[in-house]
Amino acid sequence: MATQLRVIHYLNQFFGGIGGEDKADARPTVKTGPVGPGVLLQKCLGESADVVATVICGDSYFNEHTDDALAEVLKLIAAQKPDLVVAGPAFAAGRYGVACGAVCSAVKERLNLPAVTAMFPENPGVDLYRRRTYILPAGNTAMDMGGVMARLAPFALKLGRGEPAGPADVDGYLPTGMRRNEFDAKSGAERMVEMLLDRLQQRPFTSEVQLPQYDQVSPAAALSGLENATIALVTTSGVVPQGNPDRIESWRATKWMKYPIGHLQEMSPAEWTCVHGGYDNGYVRQDPQRAVPLDILRELEQQGKVGRVLPYLYTTVGNVQPVERARRFGREMALALKQDGVHAVLLTAT
Amino acid sequence: MRLEMASFRVTQISFGETTALRNGVLTVDRAAVTAMVLGDSNLTGVSVELAGSGESTRIIHVIDAIEPRYKPAGSTFPWFISPPDQVGSGVTHRLEGVAVIATGDIPGAADSQGLKEAIIDMSGPGAPYSPFSDMCNVVLQFSFAPGVHIPDATASCRKATMRVAKYLAEATRDLQPDAVVNYELGKVDASLPRVVYIMPTMSEGELHTTFLYGMSVTSTPALVHPNEVLDSALISADYWIACHRSPTHHYQNEPVIQALYRRHGQDINFVGVILGRSLIPSAIEKHRQAAQMAKLAKMLDAQGAVITMSNGGHAYADQMLICQHVEQAGIATVLGVDEYSDTDGSDFPLVTYVPQATAIVSVGNQEEIIQMPAVSRVLGGDRFLAGNDYEIGFQKQPNEAFPVGLRQLYAATCQLGYTTHRGRAY
Repeated sequence: MATQLRVIHYLNQFFGGIGGEDKADARPTVKTGPVGPGVLLQKCLGESADVVATVICGDSYFNEHTDDALAEVLKLIAAQKPDLVVAGPAFAAGRYGVACGAVCSAVKERLNLPAVTAMFPENPGVDLYRRRTYILPAGNTAMDMGGVMARLAPFALKLGRGEPAGPADVDGYLPTGMRRNEFDAKSGAERMVEMLLDRLQQRPFTSEVQLPQYDQVSPAAALSGLENATIALVTTSGVVPQGNPDRIESWRATKWMKYPIGHLQEMSPAEWTCVHGGYDNGYVRQDPQRAVPLDILRELEQQGKVGRVLPYLYTTVGNVQPVERARRFGREMALALKQDGVHAVLLTAT
Repeated sequence: MRLEMASFRVTQISFGETTALRNGVLTVDRAAVTAMVLGDSNLTGVSVELAGSGESTRIIHVIDAIEPRYKPAGSTFPWFISPPDQVGSGVTHRLEGVAVIATGDIPGAADSQGLKEAIIDMSGPGAPYSPFSDMCNVVLQFSFAPGVHIPDATASCRKATMRVAKYLAEATRDLQPDAVVNYELGKVDASLPRVVYIMPTMSEGELHTTFLYGMSVTSTPALVHPNEVLDSALISADYWIACHRSPTHHYQNEPVIQALYRRHGQDINFVGVILGRSLIPSAIEKHRQAAQMAKLAKMLDAQGAVITMSNGGHAYADQMLICQHVEQAGIATVLGVDEYSDTDGSDFPLVTYVPQATAIVSVGNQEEIIQMPAVSRVLGGDRFLAGNDYEIGFQKQPNEAFPVGLRQLYAATCQLGYTTHRGRAY
């Protein structure tokens, strides 16, 4: 029994027995041993772990003074020299879920200790922290306390013993967004047919890829006219100056570039080429205006139908691009376009 | 339609005086195989080598892999080297455990037309990712006439490889098979759920395509009997990213068809294959195909559909639109995909999706980096293909150790689900 794991349990003011919403601004405190749901946690953990203390913080205090609250909570936790931290479950309580996620992430990242929490999958704490800590799914009310503790305790013990987490569908936590390659006992085709049988016979199944919620980008308001507008040419088609002087990669591009085109009437194949590696780019190399229609824009500019063509081409290669990097390129380009005083963008993709 | 697939197992391969199969050992008459490319002016020669499991051998510039087949009374590789007769019935001999692997560096093809590097390692850390690393491979390294039109060069390779594949399987002419499997969509209990296999295969023009009886697949979907696929009616000509090519060998042993056949009459009623196209260039044509496929599935009264894909990029859009239309027709779907999850597995795996895609099987993340070891023998060429210079490891010589993305390993993440490789959420 010498190796009994020391566990700290994090709770909010309500589950920590301090009070309801009127006590939500309670600052972090510590109580010895398990409190409230911690009694059940201790029971589920069994002999091999000991809930030595409970750290409690009001949800409003935590969310309104996050940096301070987190520092105080971490200090209280560290003082107990724990092997493991369990937070919640937070069920559908949004501020509590965010606090549980923040505490567990900080315990892992700053104290280098294992931590786990549980909450309703639609709790905002899930989206904020699932990539940084393990979150088990829980029901939306404390009615599920017994069920979730029974799943939380064995997984917490596994982490506390220093064992690596198994796959999300095996260990029962919400996928963190990390993927790994493995070899299965069955072929992909066999798994496809088995999953279809599960669906047809209405048995539960786990999709091997879960769909995310992407940002919905609302289009900017329409311009009233283009006669006074500055129009920019932006492309992910991989059109670059001959020789690709900045070495934009033909896929998984790590940079986007801004090249002067103010002196040009058209994009000549003598001066421009294409380095995109995801389509047969011969046609674009033959005539770069198939991807960057500068000649047509110049005509419109001379006819006064558009105010001005921005004297720069923004370009990159959009091919097998990690989503996060594409998002960064988008932010950087948008900022630069704003600084260039652009009103509208002709964005050509391939 | 009843196909009797007679398997002749091969566990060892060597060169010999004559081509023959005895006790699982295939001997290959090298001179006879070499002579098979003579007379084609696009090809100036072939070097014939053998590669067995566990050898310190790396095969590069892979163009296709074909299982040796011979139909004693019918067309073997119809259209290409035999009359374009319908296949899928009668007797077919196959050399189980053998692949004829076409390789070569077609002049100019790597930079302009996107023929990408494709590697098979027969041992070491790369081998588990290759479906061909535990097989007996006859490796043909073709050399090409200068200035040859690239699609003509690949066409010549294809026919020569088929001739070799047929020639090798003819060694079984008078032998007794190790096993015979009968494929027939026999009548089954009418209460079993009706399942269709929807198979968009890649086609992107004259060079990169998939052939059904010698003609490129189209976006007007075709109802195909699964036996036709198993009997070499479907031929690969995808030379893009290596990991998610579907080799002809995999069509000849199509794993979803095999899995559905195993369940036919047990849990399901397998009603057929709807064949179409991946990488359709226009959005309106993508929708048109998806709607037509859903209509065909409905006409077949299907309740469930497996939908695979081939190639990558906007092939996901084709697959997802099919999923959407088929689900909206009230048919449950399961999709087979591979992943672009970044080198560390942190990125969202798919290029695109529809909300109806709730049941997905992943054959793995093509962006994982594998450390390839130095090897003592390289077949297929002596330097990596040009046009792959984004792949840092390719600055090395092919016999050296180098890191490489799984995407360069031939058929490592083929979405037909031939291997047990998978991606998993953590």
